[in-house]
Amino acid sequence: MIPMKINFNGQDIEVDGKKTLLQICQDMKIAIPTLCYHASLFPEARCRICLVEMDGKLVTSCSTRPREGCKVITSSERIIKARRLNMELMVPKSPSCKKTDDLEVCEIYEQVGLNNTRFKSLKDYKPDLGDAVIRDDNKCVNCGRCVRVCADIQAVYAIDFSSRGHYEHVSPYGEKRLANVACIMCGQCILNCPVGAISERSHVEEVVAALADKKKHVVVQTAPSVRAALGELFSMPAGTLVTGKMVSALKACGFAKVFDVDLGADITIMEESAELLRRVSKGGTLPLITTCCPGWILMMEYFYPELIPHMSTCKSPHEMLGMLIKCYYAKKAGINPKDIVVVSIMPCTAKKFESTRPEMESGVDYVLTTRELGRLIKMKNIDFVKLPDSDFDPALGISTGAGVIFGASGGVMEAALRTAYEVAEGKPLPKIDFTEIRGMEGIKEGKVVLKGKEIRFACAHGGANLRKLVAMKDKYHFIEMMACPGGCIGGGGQPIYKDPDTLRKRMEAIYSADRAMKLRKSHENPIVKEIYREFLGEPGSELAEKLLHTHYKKRERF
Amino acid sequence: MQILRQTNLEALDRARNIGADAVLELLEKKGLEGRGGAAYSTARKWKRCKNAPADERFVVCNADEGEPGTFKDKFIMKYNAETMIEGMLICAHVIGAKKCYIYLRGEYEYLRKRLMQQIDDVVARSKMDVSIEIVRGAGAYVCGERTALVQSIMGFRGNPQYSPPNITECGLWGKPTVVNNVETLTCAAQAVLFDDWNANLRLFSVSGNVSNPGVYELPLGVKMSTIIDIARPKRKLKALSFGCFGGIMPVDPNMEVTPETINMEECQHGAFSAILIDETNNVVDIALSIAKFYAYESCGKCTPCREGTIRILDYLKRVKSGEAEKKELETLRELALHVQATSLCGLGQSSGNHVITSLLHFPEDYEHYINKGKAGAGAPAETAKLAQAEGKALENAATPKKARKAAKKE
Repeated sequence: MIPMKINFNGQDIEVDGKKTLLQICQDMKIAIPTLCYHASLFPEARCRICLVEMDGKLVTSCSTRPREGCKVITSSERIIKARRLNMELMVPKSPSCKKTDDLEVCEIYEQVGLNNTRFKSLKDYKPDLGDAVIRDDNKCVNCGRCVRVCADIQAVYAIDFSSRGHYEHVSPYGEKRLANVACIMCGQCILNCPVGAISERSHVEEVVAALADKKKHVVVQTAPSVRAALGELFSMPAGTLVTGKMVSALKACGFAKVFDVDLGADITIMEESAELLRRVSKGGTLPLITTCCPGWILMMEYFYPELIPHMSTCKSPHEMLGMLIKCYYAKKAGINPKDIVVVSIMPCTAKKFESTRPEMESGVDYVLTTRELGRLIKMKNIDFVKLPDSDFDPALGISTGAGVIFGASGGVMEAALRTAYEVAEGKPLPKIDFTEIRGMEGIKEGKVVLKGKEIRFACAHGGANLRKLVAMKDKYHFIEMMACPGGCIGGGGQPIYKDPDTLRKRMEAIYSADRAMKLRKSHENPIVKEIYREFLGEPGSELAEKLLHTHYKKRERF
Repeated sequence: MQILRQTNLEALDRARNIGADAVLELLEKKGLEGRGGAAYSTARKWKRCKNAPADERFVVCNADEGEPGTFKDKFIMKYNAETMIEGMLICAHVIGAKKCYIYLRGEYEYLRKRLMQQIDDVVARSKMDVSIEIVRGAGAYVCGERTALVQSIMGFRGNPQYSPPNITECGLWGKPTVVNNVETLTCAAQAVLFDDWNANLRLFSVSGNVSNPGVYELPLGVKMSTIIDIARPKRKLKALSFGCFGGIMPVDPNMEVTPETINMEECQHGAFSAILIDETNNVVDIALSIAKFYAYESCGKCTPCREGTIRILDYLKRVKSGEAEKKELETLRELALHVQATSLCGLGQSSGNHVITSLLHFPEDYEHYINKGKAGAGAPAETAKLAQAEGKALENAATPKKARKAAKKE
């Protein structure tokens, strides 16, 4: 802290000279409009919306630090005019936007008082329709937040600016399409886009059509992290658990059965912990790396194909459950698997791509993100907030706390260890909470003794941290990788948030859901036991290998 | 010419003898200022870099002379490169740098071979443990801006960065870096050695509608009539443009050319590149040509420059075609002032100057087109034949494809 006296809006105050003017304004409860600024990204001062006056000069508050004795004015006619003209230049289209998308830019229009624009758009780009992520440069305002999050936070470097002057636009390498470059489809760029120029490839229409088809038996399964974030789309505070309302809403949408991906997570744990114990005792390739995150899978296939032997062969939870719905549930309920449509509600855009991978032989037909589910609920005119609570359908709806915590970074690891310990040692865990691998720290690690052998484990979230952990993987036996910051709760399909505290709140919601569960270990789940007894045999059996496991391949980057 | 005086490594010897602090003191006393346009005290710049805590420092010679109508750096590199290299070595000695870069304008590629020989020669003779590398610019005007230049050397997109952090504290690879113009470094060596060195002498790049374009060394405060006499225009002069970015002002033979008098006309002297425009030209054509240049050369990083320059160009095109109404000139002015006030880097901030100054000094030229549009007459004014000799840069730069073709032919 550097104490510094400045004149702030005519008032002499003492501030921290290390803070930027924007931070000082925020401390003083002044909401400066910002566009290219994002709390988690390095400020670039591109958009010139956050202008304030310092000593009579217009400066961008996001990048400027005060000088001793300087005079700062945060609002004047000149400042408002300059901000408005910049916004007008940036968005040469009528400033209308869909309130449903809750775009950040809508608020800025109001903050700068822009109703109309004198300029005609000169942009004429072809939208880039990727497998999971869609980009429309015509809507882009070149704020560069997607570029920065892709490079600085995710370390994927899939997109950057190309061309110059008025023709500057965001583009994958060599003006290629997103589908043809090393993009891991994590969707973090979507979360950071203030104008909705990047979005997921929507499957809402297809799902609506399937729901309307009388011959189809449409089944839905929801991922653990969706329940901790869906409420935000209906103006509920971040971190509200809406499990019951979500199930009611899905039933009201017309889904025949609502299942819980947590059950899939429990089965994943059974398979994965068996795989871990097998590799540890029989000397397989270690460290074993989890494969629940399709973003990480793509990153591995593009950048670290040498890690393929380390990867667990387990499919991700919703793929496992999707397979079981089509094979096990269909048989039990007496429905032709061809008539079953499986829809997954995921916090993730990469899952959309995952379910189309040929080697996955996926049982999932459509993947909707949390945002798309919100849109579907609104489209069906359901008053979400007033809905009563309901329970998942019991056929495949009982889950454990271990499945719920999959939604947060470190959760897969914790769930796997709970089961692996008890299976290996044959006695209950002394302490069920592995607090050392919880929280928002980039790389977390811990150790546990299994069968007289010390097992070191680590987990990372956010692409840049994944790369760091890959570099030091040899220190560990078991590694969990999640491509999005915070794990699935911060996934690219989640509601767009501005408050940096949101992720922590969602994470708390996940762990509180775990604490509230009676069953907190996957192997205690009665349905899991039933499925193995009646259908699969035991973890790692031939049938389980066929249905629940997959393989990976090297991908060319260009 | 003072700028052509060779120092033959004696300046470096002297700098080594008297020590770094004494060199800084000497340069401060002699009043050496940056010759790139900002006129920042060279001694102070070096001192800030020297005092910034770091294990490594860099010297960069900015030879990315992209300003239309400016060709003095090329002149120096052609005829007195050794002194410039010596200036770099002195700077490296003062701040303690082991690695220097020359950021050479892409179009000056033909100078590279000779420059490399001269570097090898001078560095070997100096017996200093310093390496000088030539980095070729890729053709962006904005890379002459020091922060963009540093990005470009590091291999990134040549986008300007905001400061602070200043380049002198956090430049190449996050280390303190001195970025100086070719002329500044040459002058630094000469200022260290020659007691009679005159800080007042500047290089003027004179071009435009004149029969004697070229580089002239003239003192500050020189009468405009002297410049006109040297340049020998064929017709009566009407306007003077300082490069692209300095603005367009009327020619007054009695004016004394100093930064202050130029500022009084709302213009900037920059690197004293005087493009003289005679009465056959309409200033709107010149402004349009400059606007094309800026719309093309904007890097696209910040909104006002990226979107503003193209809109300015649009308005000027409308003015020229006679479609514009008089009240649109107000919007044009507003845009130009906005771009000037809110852009990130020097390029953006100056990319409205030509509009502001031409509207101020030559409103009748705008009215000419507007009235013509009203009358419905279609005959265009005599096309601007602005560039001659080296001054062709302006036209070429505005239409880069043509420039590339011309470069290929050469």
